[in-house]
Amino acid sequence: MNTPVISSLRPPKVLSPVVLAAGLAIALLIVGEIVSPGFAGHGQIVNMLRVSAFLGIIAIGQTIVIISGGEGIDLSVGKVATFAAIIGSRVMDGDNTKLLPALTLALTVAAAIGLCNGLGITYLRIPPFVMTLGMIGVVQGLILAYTSGQAHGRAAPFLTSLVNGKVIFDLPGLLFLWLLLAVAVTWMLRRTTYGWQLFAVGANRVSARLSGIPVRRTVILAYVLSSVFAGLAGILLLGYTESVFLDLADQYMLPSIAAAVIGGTLLAGGIGGYAGTAIGAVVLTVLQSLLITLEISAAGRTVINGLVLIVLLSLYGRQRRLRT
Amino acid sequence: MALLEMNGVRKRFGGVLALDDASLSAAGGEVHALLGPNGSGKSTLNKTLTGVVVPDRASITIDGSPVAIHGPRDAHAHGVAAVYQQLSVVDDLTVTQNVVLGLEPTRRLGLLDRRAARTVAAEVLTRFSPAFAGSVPYDAAVGALSPGEQQIVEICKALARRPRILVLDEATASLHKEQVHVLFEVVRELRDSGVLVVFTSHRMDEVFALCDQATVLRNGRTVGTIALADATEDQLVHMMVGDVERREEARRSHASDRTVLQVRGLTTQRLRDVSFSVAQGEVLGLGGLQGQGQSDLLLAMFGAAKIHAGEVLYDGVPLPLTSPVKAARAGVALVPGDRGRQGMFAVRPIQENLSIASMHRRATARLALSQRAERRAARGIVERLNIVIGGLADRISTLSGGNQQKVVIGKWLLNEPRVVLLDDPTKGIDITAKEEVYAIIRELADSGAAVVFNSSDNRELLEMSDRVLVLFEGGVVDELTDAQVTEEDLVASALRLEAGETL
Amino acid sequence: MNPAPPGTREPAPATLAHWWGRLRDIQVSGTATVAMLVVVIAVNVALQPNFFDQYALTSNFATFVPLVAIAVGQTIVVLSGGIDLSLGAQVTLASVVTVQLTDGELGNLPLALTAGLGVGVACGLFNGLVVVVARLQPIVATFATSFVFSGLALVVLPRPGGTMPSEFTSGYRDSVLGVPVALLAILAIAAGWLLLRRHRVTRHIYAVGGNAEAAFASLVPVARTRITAYVIAGMFASVSAFAILANTGAGDPFIGNELTLTSVAAVVIGGTALRGGRGGAIGSILGAIILALVSNIVFFADVPSTYRQLANGLVVILALALAGIPALQKRRSA
Repeated sequence: MNTPVISSLRPPKVLSPVVLAAGLAIALLIVGEIVSPGFAGHGQIVNMLRVSAFLGIIAIGQTIVIISGGEGIDLSVGKVATFAAIIGSRVMDGDNTKLLPALTLALTVAAAIGLCNGLGITYLRIPPFVMTLGMIGVVQGLILAYTSGQAHGRAAPFLTSLVNGKVIFDLPGLLFLWLLLAVAVTWMLRRTTYGWQLFAVGANRVSARLSGIPVRRTVILAYVLSSVFAGLAGILLLGYTESVFLDLADQYMLPSIAAAVIGGTLLAGGIGGYAGTAIGAVVLTVLQSLLITLEISAAGRTVINGLVLIVLLSLYGRQRRLRT
Repeated sequence: MALLEMNGVRKRFGGVLALDDASLSAAGGEVHALLGPNGSGKSTLNKTLTGVVVPDRASITIDGSPVAIHGPRDAHAHGVAAVYQQLSVVDDLTVTQNVVLGLEPTRRLGLLDRRAARTVAAEVLTRFSPAFAGSVPYDAAVGALSPGEQQIVEICKALARRPRILVLDEATASLHKEQVHVLFEVVRELRDSGVLVVFTSHRMDEVFALCDQATVLRNGRTVGTIALADATEDQLVHMMVGDVERREEARRSHASDRTVLQVRGLTTQRLRDVSFSVAQGEVLGLGGLQGQGQSDLLLAMFGAAKIHAGEVLYDGVPLPLTSPVKAARAGVALVPGDRGRQGMFAVRPIQENLSIASMHRRATARLALSQRAERRAARGIVERLNIVIGGLADRISTLSGGNQQKVVIGKWLLNEPRVVLLDDPTKGIDITAKEEVYAIIRELADSGAAVVFNSSDNRELLEMSDRVLVLFEGGVVDELTDAQVTEEDLVASALRLEAGETL
Repeated sequence: MNPAPPGTREPAPATLAHWWGRLRDIQVSGTATVAMLVVVIAVNVALQPNFFDQYALTSNFATFVPLVAIAVGQTIVVLSGGIDLSLGAQVTLASVVTVQLTDGELGNLPLALTAGLGVGVACGLFNGLVVVVARLQPIVATFATSFVFSGLALVVLPRPGGTMPSEFTSGYRDSVLGVPVALLAILAIAAGWLLLRRHRVTRHIYAVGGNAEAAFASLVPVARTRITAYVIAGMFASVSAFAILANTGAGDPFIGNELTLTSVAAVVIGGTALRGGRGGAIGSILGAIILALVSNIVFFADVPSTYRQLANGLVVILALALAGIPALQKRRSA
């Protein structure tokens, strides 16, 4: 085995998933515009971006968890977002001065749920899918116990104006908040020790352990962050809807995974980033708008979403063959 | 006429060319040795024949007619059966179930015929009953058996397939003498009935005792085939190793008299009461047959194994052995034995692979990284260790094995370790890279680090180490300190024990 | 799931290579399963004095069957080294197809049941192909297919409705020689498993789940075996759907959702390792009964209705956590 010439070994640069996802979003917009003129108008696009923001923020945590590897995934994000919105709505109850306590309590509860997920996964070695799926039942139970089946309260006006009001350039404040979070998360992933440890743990846990990385702590924190971002998205969603329902954000579970996958975050762990996920969230939102424009039923959209995820996974997430 | 002809076999795994124009020609009714140093492609060639590896290019002829082997079933159809180096038994199935696996006798509707299965298993296993202390545990889960017994089950599984070509890849590695004896009897009977046995072993005495012909591989190419009746061991070794200049440079000890590292009574599941000390600047070698606790010792010293008893002191102060995190922080570094699985992050950039163990030292508040500082640190190591890379942002998997290993070592150099543990650091890397790794180890020792170095290559072990500890079954059984110690002494020390006790 | 990089072909030292591989090498022992069963039965009897009355037994067993059937199906997939998170959705789809085709007429039943079974087979085949041919991780692949199946169920039956013939539901609540029909169904499922266990395919399922590479090298048709496991699981999902229909008498396009996780929990409680290759369906049947009895307890212990779901959710999580508690684990002989 002579030292090979390195440059010849480098795989040919393919289009990065981020670029592909962006292309896909634009393509969908064009299709929409053709099918239904006005689909890609300015107002429509701003609205689609705003809807994307909720998904995009929930998917932050999902991206982090998937990067952490070990079949990492967080199915409880939708329920956690719902629960956070329910707590927030009840505590703030339309009062701006109670916004901060409401936010604090909601995010603390979310963090506690994430901690349970992380502990169960690392110390009790429950597979993430199973653990977080089980957590859905627990959180649903908590919601019922907390609300007695009836949601209370409403969003604080400030929260509503942040999400819905036009702040600068005729754009809602939510979009600026999303941008801020996107920058912060990207910085965390790329320019902090935690971010690099997270990628290392996702890429190879044994190597990570033998490189002196606190693997369990890294993984647990990933699940805590996932729940916290889900909780934050739930609160923002509350600002959008102003009042809360018992299944407010439940349907974000599958799209949050799909957004990460579209954006090039590998389910195997160790590879990915937030820019792709954010674009993935836009792609999915545009796709939903298009399906609604085409008058496809909710059931049909569910089927299509499942199929889209399967197709995307086949493109990116294949396992190795037994025969080499 | 040759029963088996393999020509122009070529196989690339990622960046490594495992086979490059390998060939093998052997007749029925002979035992044909397939020899070569570690990483020369023996196992890959065997697996090509058995359909587990699909070659990039190959022409295989059996009985004069060309055959295409796309999978194990094709190989089976052509009468090929194999005993793999990494066993292909299923731990949770019983001995009988494993022997008939894939070819279970069935009755109507595909229901299993247990009695027939037992008969098939008994036919091959009774021969080996001495190996199971008299009675064959037909219904025991294979996972509960000793490594030697599992190996016998693997062999019996191959025999039950009634092969015309039987591949034995390191089939004797975990067997003790009596078991080897029975196996050889069986192999000779098979040979006499016209079967071709392809035999791979690192034990030269076995090769000479059993085989008729030998084909030698080196760096994925066939060097030649030789009749063993008129060959000497030296000839074979020369074919395998090629013309290597023996380094004349004697070992120079830079060890000071100051003992810095003391291991006292270290005991884990796989280690028993290991004690030794290392002086500042000393390179302590770990020798003996591989798998006798060398890797376990290094892992334990790095806090990666559960310690039952014992301690490790540095300058009289106990080192934390409870987790690698603490060990790393205390200045211990481990270059693990399996680079791909334990040492590197294949899909991550070289930059991150280099920074990962030491970045907190350069980060603001141990959190915020400066890209410039990380790059500078990484570049420094790349230059210092002469790592050949395209760019720091490339994945480490794009590098050759030797350069990957240098990255793994470099990762630790950035952490300025006081204790460096190396587990077979030159395994599977080319000669040039090996020399560079040797230089790094010397430099580390010269700069005052205590170095503990395990190697499966006795020659390099002797050249690099100031002292060598010989391990057997998790304990230190010999210490070779004499500067005049030779490779023969080391081998004798390791093997004497093997002959004395059985595994 | 990383591709093995060059230079890793040599066997790794056993200690650490298996360190993280042990991640899912967890298994509750058979004794623990039986002990749990005894405890939950005792608590049930204490809370529900007429527990052993004919009526109570019949209605209890009637609610066990769907869970028992799906747990057996899940066991088979788990043994093969996979997992099927779409089983609940398959139950839903099979049940709505069956109820729509039956349309309350006894005469339509044979055709409807055949179609319902066909749905299970088709779903299993689809899962198997996605996992094996497209080589996706089973856990995500079946999660994605679950959306396809439950979406299709909503297309077939957009809202709860449809009726099963009364003969079908009353027969299910009947008893033969004093033995409830539902109990007979459970015994039939167990017998089906015992027969299956003696089949070559099941042996191969164990081998593939235990060590796919070894099985492949030993001439086991790995791909076909994996697909078969999903198909068999799909058939059990159909059986589960029939039991639900017999029990409730009507169709519901959301009925199966909760079953998926419970089936995984039943498998774990029953002592089948989630990593595959070890365990069996008898344990899962007991596990399913344990879980059903636990929700009985929650019901009869006067837990306020708003807390019932929380209690059930916690029980499932605790059951899953059991597998992680070392004292209850059956360790590999070291």
